[in-house]
Amino acid sequence: MTTAPGPGDAASVTVLVPVDPEAAFDAFTREIDQWWGHGPKFRCGGRRPSRITLEPGVGGRLIETIPGKSGEKTVEFGRITAFEPGERLALEWRGVNFKPGEKTLVEVLFRASSSGTLVTVRHSGWSALPEDHPARHGHVGADFSRFIGAWWAELMTSLRLHAGQA
Amino acid sequence: MRGLDAAFAALSDPTRRRAIRLLIQGPRRAGELAADLDVRASALTRHLRVLRESGFVEEQREDGDARVRVYRLRREPLEALRGWIDEVESFWSDQLASFQRHVERRGARANRSKARR
Repeated sequence: MTTAPGPGDAASVTVLVPVDPEAAFDAFTREIDQWWGHGPKFRCGGRRPSRITLEPGVGGRLIETIPGKSGEKTVEFGRITAFEPGERLALEWRGVNFKPGEKTLVEVLFRASSSGTLVTVRHSGWSALPEDHPARHGHVGADFSRFIGAWWAELMTSLRLHAGQA
Repeated sequence: MRGLDAAFAALSDPTRRRAIRLLIQGPRRAGELAADLDVRASALTRHLRVLRESGFVEEQREDGDARVRVYRLRREPLEALRGWIDEVESFWSDQLASFQRHVERRGARANRSKARR
């Protein structure tokens, strides 16, 4: 597994799985509950048994269903913005501790390699914020994102350099 | 991600980003900042207010001269953003390792049933 520093505002992790991209996409989406982590780091239900479901197709929700005394409780923490079997999956992601309207973007890429499929998750923070976010006033789309990304990476580098001297 | 909205808004302006970059090198007086950034004192006052309210800078009186204000960068908002990235990366590293094991187990099952046939 490799983690690559993104443009500075995104986390990126890649693994290789020994199946073709279609099968990898299928396992990632349909069998999500079978591989999704357990415990409070990964599930709202904490240690209680819960089920993770990804509704296939654009607009589909990523939800956790938690059984309780008064019936099931459903928590939505993602919504699909791109669903391209064997290639790409994108979701708007809302962490449980986020304020209403605060979103980040998760993109999953499936690329064929000689020994299977490279699956990359890229989770972008604030450069992926929607157009109407206050942080974006006066800027547009991808250019802003690239610009901020480069600026951020440079800033982090110089921050580390200066921290060493302080 | 509490407080990040204010941080994003502060970072949305190129002059404020340049100010942060300058302040990384060390504290500066308002007059020095205005000259380095090539902005009017009134514009600088406005930018510094946004940076102060979002926690990126703090104002200090210069030693020995209470009339001179010096601006210093605070690392906390930058480190909070960096911390967010580290957390997200650790989350997905665990998740993808688990996904990889799942696909491998699935493959092994498929091979066993093929062998039995």
